[in-house]
Amino acid sequence: MSLFQLELRLMFRERAVLALLALFVLSLGYGIANGLELAERQRKEADALIIESSQFNKQVRDALERQALDPRQAMGSGHLALLPPPGFAVLSGGQADLLPSHERIILWRTEDPSEGKIGLANPTQLLTGRFDLAFVLIWLFPLFLLALIYDLCAGDRESGTLRLALSRGIGAWKLLGVRVLARGTPMTALALGAVLFAALLGGEGLSLPVWIATGVVLAYGLFWCAVALLSNCFTRTAAAAATVAGAAWVIFVMVIPTLLNVVVESAHPMPSRAELVAKLREASGDAERRSNELINTFYKDHPELAPPGMQADMLQRRLAVQEEIGRAMDPIYKEFDTELADQQQVVERWRFASPAIAAYEALSDLAGTGYWRHRAFRDQVAAFKDAVFEFYSPKFHKRQPLVKADIPMLPSFAFREEESAAVQGRTLSAMAGILALALLCLAPCALRLSRGASGKLVS
Amino acid sequence: MILTIALKELRDTWRDGRFRIGGTLLVVLLIVSGVLAWQQNERTRAERDAATELDRRNWLEQGEKNSHSAGHYGLYAFKPTAPLAAFDRGVEPYVGSSVFLEAHRRNATSFLPAQDATNMRRFGELTASLSLQILVPLLIVLLAFGALAAERERGTLRQLLSLGVDPVQLVVGKFLGIALALALLLVPLIAVGAWLLSGTGEAGDPNLTRRILFLIGAYGLYLGTFLAIAVAVSARCRTGRGALALLLGLWAFNCVLAPRLATDLVEQWVPTPQLAEFDAAIAADLKKGIDGHDSRDVHLQKFTQETLAKHGKQNVMELPFNFNGLVMLESEKFSSEVYGHHYARMWDQLEAQDRATTLTGALAPMLALRTASMALSGTDLSQHRHFADASERHRMEFMRVLNEDLMKNARPGDHGYRVGRTLWEQLPPFVLAPREWDAVWTSVAAALGILGAWFAGSFLWLYMSARRMRLEVA
Repeated sequence: MSLFQLELRLMFRERAVLALLALFVLSLGYGIANGLELAERQRKEADALIIESSQFNKQVRDALERQALDPRQAMGSGHLALLPPPGFAVLSGGQADLLPSHERIILWRTEDPSEGKIGLANPTQLLTGRFDLAFVLIWLFPLFLLALIYDLCAGDRESGTLRLALSRGIGAWKLLGVRVLARGTPMTALALGAVLFAALLGGEGLSLPVWIATGVVLAYGLFWCAVALLSNCFTRTAAAAATVAGAAWVIFVMVIPTLLNVVVESAHPMPSRAELVAKLREASGDAERRSNELINTFYKDHPELAPPGMQADMLQRRLAVQEEIGRAMDPIYKEFDTELADQQQVVERWRFASPAIAAYEALSDLAGTGYWRHRAFRDQVAAFKDAVFEFYSPKFHKRQPLVKADIPMLPSFAFREEESAAVQGRTLSAMAGILALALLCLAPCALRLSRGASGKLVS
Repeated sequence: MILTIALKELRDTWRDGRFRIGGTLLVVLLIVSGVLAWQQNERTRAERDAATELDRRNWLEQGEKNSHSAGHYGLYAFKPTAPLAAFDRGVEPYVGSSVFLEAHRRNATSFLPAQDATNMRRFGELTASLSLQILVPLLIVLLAFGALAAERERGTLRQLLSLGVDPVQLVVGKFLGIALALALLLVPLIAVGAWLLSGTGEAGDPNLTRRILFLIGAYGLYLGTFLAIAVAVSARCRTGRGALALLLGLWAFNCVLAPRLATDLVEQWVPTPQLAEFDAAIAADLKKGIDGHDSRDVHLQKFTQETLAKHGKQNVMELPFNFNGLVMLESEKFSSEVYGHHYARMWDQLEAQDRATTLTGALAPMLALRTASMALSGTDLSQHRHFADASERHRMEFMRVLNEDLMKNARPGDHGYRVGRTLWEQLPPFVLAPREWDAVWTSVAAALGILGAWFAGSFLWLYMSARRMRLEVA
């Protein structure tokens, strides 16, 4: 029987190990079930919005086939800009419960601040976060894994059996290496299986992002195995090894990420939303007061859009006012976007300070619930607002109705996914970085366990 | 004897490398988190003060217009920052801090600070409360797991007991020794923090000192419970290794697993209302009352007939007041009742979820502590409801003043009616009165009760564990 098989057999004899594995399976199952439920809810909401929007658009098109229409009628409750639910949402809820996934664009309200309507949610639940698969993989998986592998040799050293084992010609490096692999394999296999199972259940199939996700989880598991090995090489007792492993978990999963959050928010503080609101009202009050002047200037600059007799109605004034507000507010909105982008850049730069950050960012990215996909959505919505404005604005100013020939030009939103190469680049580099961190932990172990130095392990 | 044991344990703990390293890290984290949270609180307070002033100026300088048009122009209410948010930010990043008050509509608070943040928020925020809830218990585990188990492994426990040392005194001495070491570390920080915080908002909240004292009490119960459990586990386990594994498991369950599991299960038991259904229910009920802007509305036509009959007139132009103003008043009264009803149901549902989560504190004390901490810091859901309800009352008063002006002062059929700054000044700025202590106590009582039960239960278990040690000698 090989050493690997022996270690496996010994491990499965312990009831505590079986209990831990069972608890981990339950956690994974619950995380997957929760993720599936969230994905299903997102899909239903998106379907309802798409059905409502397509029915309205069809009515508009049918009406235009028969007669000309007032553009206001075509606007309805707004043109829908929808971020489609991601295919692999079951992996990680990410920011999906916090960021709006649709917006309705109405010509005369394009400068209203987006209220970020995200559905009703209990703020205490938002604060706590969801029990999704990413939570199990990033927070619980290392805890469970360390509980299985924290004592690779320290206990044997205390009882004297380590000296006996090494005296039989087994190298220290081989003994500990095989042990960590044997004890770490079942739990890591469960974690990897859960990712694949979730992908199959969630409808993503065994696509490339799924394989990258399993790679990230594998690298993350290897890092924690390396931490356990390191703590065993440099401590004398099992209790000390457990203390070091536990402290490493707290530092990497709790302290460094929260500290990084403090650093990014201090280095790039967001402007005040309260002041934004007040400034917006100041700008809109000022523009309202000058609406006559604004519309006259507008028609002077755009004589081709001037209505007959140059007499503007309420809506035309509103559009001119809105453009003025946009001019005043754009730099402030841009400041929000820039600060958030800068914060994300800092996170990207420092994500390898903790493999938990790198792995969580990668899983959210692969799930389509991270920063970059939502950023792409926001940018595309901004462009869509401009398209809506450019299509309707001349018609309103010239008081032209919509006609049959306008049907193909009616603005509609279709989200363009980010280039898959970009996502793969970010997530593969995360995986490589986590593996490098694991190797970094293994280097001092290799020195400690080298043939000449293995005596130190026993003493 | 207890004092001798406690002093020896204190000396040993103080010399212990785990205490020195862990304690130093903890103190640094507490100071850093406290200073940063303080700065952030001050910045937020200054921003909101500036925004409130700017919005008030916008309101006063909006120029002359019809009083109902001013209702549509609206104003903003900004949520004041709680002084103790520097200690525990609670749900503040996940609720809006401003609400737009306008005619006909009750708006929800907007702009969640968490929406302006990266994914890192999901790892939690570095606050003094988080350090005390999660990191101090971990330090307790690391200090206490070997208190008795290690003595047992070394064989010194049997020696001590055979010398006639009372196990209860031994256990209490060990408990006090570690507690004193922790107190030396934490009490100066807590004292300075409490002194600084109590000076920030006493004028705004007369209960601030009481809130701080109860916070200290709640955290004392929680940490005392953790220490008692840790020493009791150490007294019962044969090896230090076994005690450490068990205590780390308990810590992980309490601090990592339980919060998410509890809130998720509560969501299954008491589901959050769906926004689409919530909006649809309000829209359906609003249709049952007067629509102030739709002359074809059947309820408006009925109301017109009733008003004319009451005053014995044939035409609204003959009424001794502006009929449109009366319609706006009635419409606002009706819609605010509809909004009030639906919002109250929604808040009740969300508060029921939080109460259920607090009750799960019977299984994991951190859940009870978190509720108590947020409620006493004024950063929980109920405090947010207090702000939302107060701002709605302000909206109703604001609309009443404007619509009554329209009704009393605009001549019937005068569409060119204008008012100015004199009327705008009649409306006082929005001021949020501090929440009554009784209301705070309602939010916090169950949580404190659970923490008290944990504290009593853990000491009883500690006592029983000590008694059990007598049998070892026998």
